Amino acid sequence: MKKIISLVLSFILVASILVGCSSNNVGENTGGSNKKEFDLSKEIVVVTREEGSGTRGAFVELTGVEEKDGSGKKVDRTTKEAITQMKTDTVLTTVAGNEYAIGYVSTGSLNDTVKALSVDGVAPTTENIKNGSYKIARPFNIATKGEISSLAQDFIDFIMSKEGQEVVSKSYIAVDDNADSYAGSKPSGKIVVAGSSSVTPVMEKLREAYIAINPNAQIEVQQSDSSAGMQAAIDGTADIGMASRALKDSEKAELEDLAIALDGIAVITHTSNTMDNLTLDNVKNIFIGEIVNWSDIK
Amino acid sequence: MKSKTFEKLMEIIFLISASFSIIAVFLICFFMFANGVPAIGKIGILDFILGKDWSPSNIPPSFGIFPMIVGSIYVTIGAIIIGVPIGVLTAIFLAKFCTKSLYRFLKPAVNLMAGIPSIIYGFFGLVVLVPVTRKLFGGTGNSILTASILLGIMILPTIIGLSEAAIRSVPKSYYEGAIALGATHEYSVFFAMLPAAKSGILSSIVLGIGRAIGETMAVVMVAGNQARMPNGILKGIRTLTANIVIEMGYAADLHREALIGTGVVLFVFILLINGLFSVLKRKVT
Amino acid sequence: MFFSGFSTFSILFIIIGYILIKGVPYIKPSLFALEYNTQNVSLFPAVVTTLIMTFLSLLIAAPIGIFTGFYLIEYASSSNKLVEVIRITSETLSGIPSIVYGLFGLLFFVTTLGLSFSIAAGCLTLSIMILPLIIRATEEALLAVPNTLREASFGLGAGKLRTIFRVVLPTALPGIFAGIILAIGRIVGETAALIYTAGTVPQIPKNLLSSGRTLAIHMYSLSSEGLYTNEAYATAVILLIVVIGINGLSSLIAKRLKGDLNE
Repeated sequence: MKKIISLVLSFILVASILVGCSSNNVGENTGGSNKKEFDLSKEIVVVTREEGSGTRGAFVELTGVEEKDGSGKKVDRTTKEAITQMKTDTVLTTVAGNEYAIGYVSTGSLNDTVKALSVDGVAPTTENIKNGSYKIARPFNIATKGEISSLAQDFIDFIMSKEGQEVVSKSYIAVDDNADSYAGSKPSGKIVVAGSSSVTPVMEKLREAYIAINPNAQIEVQQSDSSAGMQAAIDGTADIGMASRALKDSEKAELEDLAIALDGIAVITHTSNTMDNLTLDNVKNIFIGEIVNWSDIK
Repeated sequence: MKSKTFEKLMEIIFLISASFSIIAVFLICFFMFANGVPAIGKIGILDFILGKDWSPSNIPPSFGIFPMIVGSIYVTIGAIIIGVPIGVLTAIFLAKFCTKSLYRFLKPAVNLMAGIPSIIYGFFGLVVLVPVTRKLFGGTGNSILTASILLGIMILPTIIGLSEAAIRSVPKSYYEGAIALGATHEYSVFFAMLPAAKSGILSSIVLGIGRAIGETMAVVMVAGNQARMPNGILKGIRTLTANIVIEMGYAADLHREALIGTGVVLFVFILLINGLFSVLKRKVT
Repeated sequence: MFFSGFSTFSILFIIIGYILIKGVPYIKPSLFALEYNTQNVSLFPAVVTTLIMTFLSLLIAAPIGIFTGFYLIEYASSSNKLVEVIRITSETLSGIPSIVYGLFGLLFFVTTLGLSFSIAAGCLTLSIMILPLIIRATEEALLAVPNTLREASFGLGAGKLRTIFRVVLPTALPGIFAGIILAIGRIVGETAALIYTAGTVPQIPKNLLSSGRTLAIHMYSLSSEGLYTNEAYATAVILLIVVIGINGLSSLIAKRLKGDLNE
């Protein structure tokens, strides 16, 4: 009997310690986290996406983290110490859980568990992205190879029409504010759309809107990442590829691309971080590992 | 007689079914090697296995997987260090020190742990373990230590299950003999029964190693995934499995074949471990 | 030792408790709507896909696995070289990491056999994965059947086949069932192998050649864009409930069958 009691008591003790610790650190970032002083002497914890991610590709190009070396070859100089996380959500969770972390995500995926910084004094709002003052923005591209089926063409026409761009502008930024109304032929058939996990949410909304007016169509949206999507379009395993970055030259050689939306990339930190703004240069230097502590930022 | 030929026919059908395992292994070996080995050849086997630089997007790309090999090994050793003592002790507890009513409650719990999908463990690791290890030990939280703890937890059911079965199958005479010679309950268990259960416990450890090396989804969320040589238990690393899953989605041509090559290396590792284990088993029994 | 005992279990409770706390608030009936759409990320198609895949994979793997067990125990002599080889290959199969299975499935079923991302490719890959589980469970179950039962049957004049199917199999059924349940558990939780073979489409698959996602992949996808974290937790809860249910069911069936046979 005594053994059982001690068992149960110790279990409760261990359980409460662990749960207590974790709930202090996770997500709840309101009044509680201001108790701690933001210690500027701490190391910056850099969080990045995997190499095939379009978000990463666009980010490193726009911030100058990717550079041409002496012989003209492009090198991604993201610091080797950066934590690589595979999807947007794991980046958000990692940054939200670590006071000294910094990362980047699509502005369409921002939520209030993290804080989005201004870059060069410009905040990542829809207007700023649209008028070009927020520099870290990239197009959502779709790509096709050669002759495509009438359904694929019709779907693309829909995306670029007024109705399609309306769907886009609900969470992202339309590329064409003055598009004509959709007047397509609504053929039947099946197509596969594959690629970027950042573009997938808006592509799924477009798909729903399209199927509502053309129920004869079957559209499969497969989610992976930008480079996989381009590869699938080249291989023929997908009719349309999605990328959240500009196409590489090798991809452009085989595919035709089209921008369907504009999206910003926000630089995010923990909500208790005292920084509000970084220069583009600082962003670059943090991500290549030249600025190590928060206090080194000028 | 009709039934005799029917019997023979069924026996042949059973035999064919049995050969499916062999066919499957051959197919897997064939496809993996056929797709991976040419890539390893193109890169150069020493450059591939011992190369310390994994930068597939640079031009020209480099495909050294040594950091990932070391990463997988470190994380597995860490998982064993954490999982085996707790697992074996728990198994002893369940087999010999547990009351019947408690057992009826605890054993299904262990089976349940075995069934929890690895992404749920990964989620848990990301949201609970990472901040907790950061608070308790410093560093970023996405580290070898966190991955080892998570993997250690994940292999617990494997180790507990097999070790407990091994201990239970030791003949009672061992225990009773020791008691008769005047030993205490604890002493008899640890020094008479445990050595007899050695081979079962060892096989559970090997199975645990296999599980730890092969684990993908959970590890990729907590280990940090830095593709460089490990430089501290509180710093992150990338395992062979994480490397494949992170980049497979978009890899093309040589990059993709290099990833399949990584799969081949993983495969060979597992075969070696299994082989080593069969040899050991023969020595012990 | 007590410490290790309950630290094990406290960890289990913490994990389960955490998922429940985070996920239960978000379980709404709408999550079970028939169609998945982006307004309401229903997990119903994923459930349907999971059921279909489990059923089909078992359909392929169970007979092969059970027959293999028969051959190994009932027919071949244990010193037979072939038996050694089969045992070794079966052990090897069970040790292969799921991502290697995923790669193999991609290379063989999806590309070479041209099945592309489909339920078919997923099921075939899964059935190879669970084969060793079923073989091992069958073997142990058959070994546990006392030889006296077999001898009695022979003594009464029954042939080998009849003995196996009428006498040995029913006795061994609880053990075999336990193996099948374990296999189901493995299928339900599998992610890495299926991403590359069955794909990630969130619709109810229309035929064997269309793609679909299981509950585990659904949870993985939902958590990937940061937009549906809460729903991901809810899916995790459902996943957990399914796993707990399967485990509970298996112990219940095992006990019931054992009870029946001991009459």
